This record gives sequence, structure tokens and C-alpha cells, in this order.
Amino acid sequence: MRGPRPTVERLDQPSAYFTSRNKRRRFEKEQRDGDDDSNMQNEQTEEDLLKNATTLYVGNLSFYTTEEQIYELFSKCGEIKRLVMGLDRFNKTPCGFCFVEYYTHQDALDCMKYIGGTKLDERVIRTDLDPGFTEGRQYGRGKSGGQVRDEYREDYDEGRGGLGRAIQAARMRERETRDYDDDYGRLR
Amino acid sequence: MADYDRRPGGGGSSYNPKKRRFREDDDYDRRGPRRRYEAPPHVRLRKQLIAIAENPMRPWHEEVQAIATLFTDNWDDELLRGNFVDLALQLAVEQPLKTPFVAAVVLVANVTRPEVVDLLLAKLAASVEKGIKAGEWRDVKLYLKLLACLQGCLEGEGIFPLLEGLFERAVDLQTASSEDTIGTEIVKIILLTLPYVMAAAPGQWVQKAADLMEKTEIIASEPHALQTLIEPYHPESGEEAPPQSQSLIGLLQTQLQSEANNGWVLPCLPRPWQLPLSDVEQQSQLDNATKHALPPIAIPETVITGPRPLFPEVYFSVYAGQDVESVPPLSNAAASLIRDALLDTINVLHFNRNVAARHLIDLDCYFAPRTFAARATPFDKLRDIEPPKSTWKPEDVAVDAVFSQLFQLPNPEHKLVFYHSVLTEACKLAPAAIAPSLGRAIRFLYRNSPRLDLELANRFIDWFSHHLSNFGFTWKWTEWVDDVYLPDVHPRKAFINGALDKEIRLSFAQRIKNTLPDPYKELISPEKEKDAPDFKFASDDTPFAAEGREILALLKRKAPDEEIEAVIQRIQSLAIDREIDALVASTDVFVTCVLHFGNKSLSHVLAAIERTKDRLADAGAASDAARTQIISATMAYWSAHPGVALSIIEKLLNYSILTPATVINWALIGRAGSTRGEALATAHLYEMVFNTVMKVTGRVRQLATKPPSPPHQQAQSSADAEEAETREREIRAMRALFAAIEDALAAWAAGSKDEMMEASEGAAGDSETERLVRRWGERWLRVFRRRAAIEEAFLVEAEKERARLRAEMEEQAREQEQARARERELDGQGGEGMEVA
Repeated sequence: MRGPRPTVERLDQPSAYFTSRNKRRRFEKEQRDGDDDSNMQNEQTEEDLLKNATTLYVGNLSFYTTEEQIYELFSKCGEIKRLVMGLDRFNKTPCGFCFVEYYTHQDALDCMKYIGGTKLDERVIRTDLDPGFTEGRQYGRGKSGGQVRDEYREDYDEGRGGLGRAIQAARMRERETRDYDDDYGRLR
Repeated sequence: MADYDRRPGGGGSSYNPKKRRFREDDDYDRRGPRRRYEAPPHVRLRKQLIAIAENPMRPWHEEVQAIATLFTDNWDDELLRGNFVDLALQLAVEQPLKTPFVAAVVLVANVTRPEVVDLLLAKLAASVEKGIKAGEWRDVKLYLKLLACLQGCLEGEGIFPLLEGLFERAVDLQTASSEDTIGTEIVKIILLTLPYVMAAAPGQWVQKAADLMEKTEIIASEPHALQTLIEPYHPESGEEAPPQSQSLIGLLQTQLQSEANNGWVLPCLPRPWQLPLSDVEQQSQLDNATKHALPPIAIPETVITGPRPLFPEVYFSVYAGQDVESVPPLSNAAASLIRDALLDTINVLHFNRNVAARHLIDLDCYFAPRTFAARATPFDKLRDIEPPKSTWKPEDVAVDAVFSQLFQLPNPEHKLVFYHSVLTEACKLAPAAIAPSLGRAIRFLYRNSPRLDLELANRFIDWFSHHLSNFGFTWKWTEWVDDVYLPDVHPRKAFINGALDKEIRLSFAQRIKNTLPDPYKELISPEKEKDAPDFKFASDDTPFAAEGREILALLKRKAPDEEIEAVIQRIQSLAIDREIDALVASTDVFVTCVLHFGNKSLSHVLAAIERTKDRLADAGAASDAARTQIISATMAYWSAHPGVALSIIEKLLNYSILTPATVINWALIGRAGSTRGEALATAHLYEMVFNTVMKVTGRVRQLATKPPSPPHQQAQSSADAEEAETREREIRAMRALFAAIEDALAAWAAGSKDEMMEASEGAAGDSETERLVRRWGERWLRVFRRRAAIEEAFLVEAEKERARLRAEMEEQAREQEQARARERELDGQGGEGMEVA
């Protein structure tokens, strides 16, 4: 298809995340209908899905990074057709990811090669080829509204709201219980 | 035997030093009971060949012999045999720094398995032929380099007949046209191949080489007609000793001439096929191994430019004129040979900037020992190096190569941001070594930015700000602090202003302010730190303040257009009373309101424009002045953040609310005029015009490269005609745009603009400012004249290509027709029935 395997890995390939997610889906589907033919077709479409992809998923943004900053950096690979900021499902505030859509597939590939893994707003950002934005995908899928990774994150990330939210909530509860115990003690 | 082949790491892709160390320590000691997994030979061979010469601790001859032995010992493995040849060829074009080493493996293998060379040569010859046919000139060059390294095992004259054949084609092309670039490219390839031949087969081919070079002299030393167009420096007319760049090919010719006079020593080239003196027996086996005939390679009558447009090239260095030579001097062939190998590496490896950067950092692994000073030697310490030893800093040589691409006119092979990313990665891999080299490059460029071509000066701003954004925005600004007090129209101050603006766009004002010494902080106005620009109609002192607030309120509550129309009408009649342009007044109010309404983010403003696009389009269509006012209002509202304004204007162009001509007029006549030309010094004004022009030329190129539709389809021919009409119309529009730019800029360059004349008449004129403005005019003019010339050249090529495709398709159609006719004849009566069915 693309000729022989290159002697150097290409940076414009879909990430392990995308491939594994699709493998998982394929596997589930296989379990459901166990039909070999449709599987073959499925594989075909998955490959095609990204063959002309013009959209990128961009991750590890700071919550405070603005659309204008993203435009400024990503325009270096070509004119941007559309930018969709990832939002917290409940607060509708940026939650650290976005979709950048270019006019051409080549621009998207170039972006993978030249911008993915470099810094924006002093954070190393991640890019991944994406089959295209669909309504609803702009929202975080985590329990508390943000991205899933921001639920249980154990490191303190100032640009992404400190500790993971689930951990923060747990600590908050812990503190409340302790305060309650203290109060209880005093009353006694 | 195979034991020491188990070198850790390897594999061009796994460059994780941590991982490598881990494997070195652990692989051998702790995993006692577990059976060691031995990869099959073809896998090991691939791994080792790909990683060849990467380990500086391993002597070349040892590594080469080990790989060759692994190969010949497993000769019966068919998979391994076939893979080896393909991989050798692939490495030649994917990792060109390794070519001599791959060739050495082939030469050693030739001793025991001479068949492999025949296998390789057959495929190599086919690849060269294919490359020439397709105009893939870099591939041709890289395959020839491999072939040149194999000269020692070639029969007869080896590669020379091929080089001569190529040269003849170059002569044909050059005699046909003085603007030909393919011939120049071919001569460049010949000259760059020659040194490898001389290093591979020393002493034998001196006469042949001399003959060839005598012939190339005429083409190589003739300055190319297009060279002035791509000259990176644009010195002022009165400047003393303007730095004249040397054409790459002319330079190469003189360098090789002096190499020839010195007996082709070529000390920088690696010679991994030379074994140490102790291996005298091996060496003689190697020298007396079987010789092979090079399969014939056909060179087509007409050669083509190929997928990349060809331009003459000049040699560019940011380390020129230092007191210690930290890069090879122009007189030395090493300058061209090392540069060429690095440029190929960089451009070929566009798909993995990490590996490209790794090759740059490791470049001393791929050239003869002692070619360079030790890695990371500080520049000041170069002075202490005793004469016969090299003072060439590998980091400088690497950085210089990337900059030569970043500053290549008209364009380097890849997007500029690719070269940014290579420098970023190199800096990440070896910060202590690379950062000081970059620092010296930046100082050189800063000093020379006034005389750089304006397009390059702007590329410098772009790279500089982007680079800093990857490294915490740290730069020693204090050293330029005196320039802060220069007038904005001074080119060095213009650089500072431009760079700070771009830094802020990638970050935010407060952050950038914190990275600057005090005097610079004045340059960042308080407006830049505000969350949103002020709404001018909030103040009653502004004309039409009440109406402005009213429209904003209407926009906010999504009122129907009629309500807005009523307010617009009111503004227009008020304007007429006040004797100002009614359309301009109402457009200004409306646009400002839309912008303020959408000031939260680009998405907001785009949604606002989408909603009001009909009204905006009507306003723009009403008069030229009103259309221009759309830009004025946008630039005024976002004056603290020109980057946002530029994005909005780009979108307004997409909606055809603005036309490219409006942008040009606003910038070069309106804006430049109202500042007496001083606005020509602002980087974002240049960016606005440049982006607009690129948009127009991009569209024209798209139309010009659209392949013609297949012939003999009735419906298609009318579509073709329609397409041709669109194309012609767009081309005319593009030419008109360039003409308008030319007119406006020529006046600024000549100082004949009314505004400038007035300025010099009144108040005795600030003659220095006036001189600087004229100079900006000249610099702008040069950029857009070049763009215009390049587009014209592109159109000529595209027309040729279309004609070629059309002829090809007609040919095919004819053949098909004939085949069908033959079929019909053969089928006779029965066939007719079939056809009906």
C-alpha cells in the first residue's frame, strides 16, 4: 500500500489509542455477530476512515489555552477550517482538548509530524488523526464533566485544575469527616 | 559468531538512551534462567544494517565486517537475501548519511558472495532509471552516491559513462534555454557524486574526473539568470561591500578544482571500506574481489523537472565571517559535501523530526574521524585548538544546515514549521551543545536583519518567537536593550516589535512581559493585557455612540434584521447631516458592534459573522470605501491583538465579504499612507498582505494543476471550457493584484508617494525616517516582484504539464479505440450481438 516499511518510524500514523480503540470495537462486534465477512469490511472502513482525515484531536492542552493561541500555532501547517474546543460537559468551560480541522489531508499529516509533541502555552501537546468531529464529541466524558484522565490523575497539574477531580472530591470528603469528628469532640 | 552481533539499541527508531542503557545492564546479567531469544538472521540483519555507524564506540571496519559476515553466512536464507538488497537501496534514500557504510558492507560481502552485487546493481540501475524518468532528482543523486561508493567493484569505467550521459543531457538543456534549471541540477548531481567516486577508488580516475570537470566548468561557473531572484540578502544600494552569496554549483566547481589539484584527499569523507593496516590480507581480498558490470541505464531524450520546482541555489551560512572557523570555509569541499548530506537527511526525514535531529547531533559519526572538534566544545575554546586539528563545531555545522533551509528562497522543500521543529528537537536532545550555537545564529541574523530579504526577515521573526515558545520564552534580551529606543521604523526595532507580538500571540501579554527586562516592558501596551478590547461606543464622546450601543443590544437579543436596518438608516442620515460618508459611518458602527459582540473567542466572532454575513456583504458591496472600512474597523477594534484581526480578515476573505484587492489597498495605500509609510515596518502588515497574496496564488495554483478531463466525452468538453475560463479569470485577477501591489510599493520605494512628498516639504522632513521608509518600500517590492515572477514561472510549467497529460490521454484513447476496432473485427457477426447485450 504505502510501499516497503520505512527504516524510520513515521510520526504521521494514527496513535496506539486510536488503533486499539478500534480493535476493541472490532472485537466486540466480532463477539456479537461472529461474521467473518463483515469483519473484513470493517477493517477496510477503519483504514479508510483516516485515509483522507483532515481533522486532528489535540490533547493535553491547558484549560487556559485560548482558541487564538491554537490558531496561531496550528495555522503554521495550513489554514484552519474549523476549531472545536473541548468543553466540560456541565460548566461549558475548556477542559483541555480540541479538534482542529484543516482543508486538506496533507496539512493534517504535516501537523502530526511538525506540531504534535511540541509545546503550546508551555505544555507538550498531543495530536492524533481523527475521522472527523461529530456533535457531542466536544464534551468531556469524565464523570464530573471533564476528560476522563482528569478524574483520577494523581499528579498536581496546575494547567488542568490541579489534582484529578475524583481524588479532590475524595480528599474533600475526608476533610469534612475529620472536621465533623473534631466538632463532635468539642461538643462533647 | 553471531554473539557480538547482539548490539543493544539499534533500530533507527528506538532512540531512547535510557532504554539502551537499561538493556545493556540488564540483558546479560540478571535474566539467567530465561532462555535467550535469538531473533532470526533476517531480522538481526535488518536491525544492524539500519543502525549502522550509529555507535561511535564501535570501529567501522569491525561493524561492516560483522554485518557482511552475518549476511554471507546466512546466504541460503532467501528472505534475508532479498531483504538485504531492498534495504540497502532504501537506506540510501532514507538515511543518506549511512550510504558509504552500506556500500562498505556490500563491498565486503562481494568477497565471498559476488552474486549480491549483481542483484544490487540490477535494482540500483532500475531505480536510477526510474528516478531520472520521473524527475526525482534527489533520489537520483542519492542512488548515484551509493553507486559511486561501489566504483571499486565496478567493471570498466564504472559510473563514468552514466555521468557523462547525464552531462550531455544537461548541455542540451542549457543550450536550449539560459533559464533552464534541470541542467544545473544535473551538473550539481554530477559534481556531488564525483568526490565519492574518488574516495571509493582512489588514484584511478583522476584523468576521467578532470575531463568531466573541464566540461562542467562552463555550466557551473556561469551565474544563473534566476540567481538574483533567490539572493537571501538585499543590501542597500550605498552599502559597502554588499555580501554577495555564492551559487552553490559555482562554489562546488571551484572547491572540487582545488581538491583535484591536491590529489583528491577529501579528508572529511568516511572510507569504511578501508581496513586497518593489520588486516592487510582482508584488504587485498577486498581490492581483488570480483568486478561487476553496471547494467545499462537509459536516459530519456527529454527530462522533466519532477514534482518539486527547481531553482538555482546559493550557499547560506549564519556562521560566516567569524574570527575562528566553526564551520568549513567556503574554499573547502567539505562545506558543500557535509551540507549536502545533511540537507538530504533533513528533507528526507520530514516524517520523523526526532530522528532527523538525532542524525544532526550525531553527524560526526558519519564523517571521517577528526573532521570535527569534540562535541559541545564552547566557541571560545575553539581558539585554543592547535592548527592541524579541526575547529569545526559539529553543532554549528548542523544548525547552519537547518538555517540554510529556513532561509532558502523562494521556498524550502517542506513547510517552514518543519525546520522549526527540527531545531526544537535538536535543542531538546542536546541543549548544552545546541543552544549556544543557536544563540550565535540568532545574533548573526539579528545584526543582519536590516539587509536580509524582507521575506526572510519575517521568517526569522516567526521562527524566533516559535522557538522561544518551546523553551520558556527565555532569551538574553538585555544585549539588545539599546535598540529599544530606536524609532519603530528602524529594521532592528521592527524585529523586536514583531517578535514580541508573535510571542504574545502564542502566549499572553503578562507572561511575555515577565520574561523581559524593564525597558522592553514599555513596548507592551496596557491594552494588550485587557481581557477584551474596549467598546468605543461605550463612551458618549464617540460619534454614533447611542446607535452603536443600540445595535449591540439588538445583536445580543438576536433581533430581526429589520430592527438593525432601522438603526443603520438613522446613522446614515445623521452622517449625511454631518457631511461624512454615510456608508462608511454605518459600516464602521455595524462592524465594530459585530466584533464586540463576538469578542469572547474566534468561534464567537465567526458565529457572529455567519449570522450577519448578508448585511456585511451588502455593506462591503455598497462602495469601495465601505469595504475598506470593514478592515479599518477590524484593525482598530483589535489593534492590541493584530493576530486576531488577521484571522478575522482571513475569514472575511473566505466569505468574499472582502476582496484581496481591498486588503492590498487598505494596507499599502490606506494604512501606509496615514502613517507616512511608517506602517510598512510593522510585521503584521506584511503578514496580512503576504497571507492574502498566498491565498490568491494558492487558488490559482490549484486551478492550474487540475488535470484536464478525459477526451471524447461531450459533456466534458464544455466543463473543460468552463474550467479554462475560471482559470483565466483567476489568473487575470492575480496579475491585477500583483500590478496593484507593484504600483503602490514602487511609489513608496521611490519616495514619490504624496504623503512622503508632503512630509518632506513640511517641517523640513525627517530625512532619516524618510530614507528608512523608502528602504522598506524597496524591500517589500522585492518580495512581491519575486512572488509574481515565481507564479508566472509556475503557470508556464503547469501549462506544459496539462498539455502533456492531454496528449497522453488522447494517445490512450486512440489506443483503446484501435483495440476496440480490432476486437470488433475479430468478433465479426457474433460480436455484435454481444455488444448489444
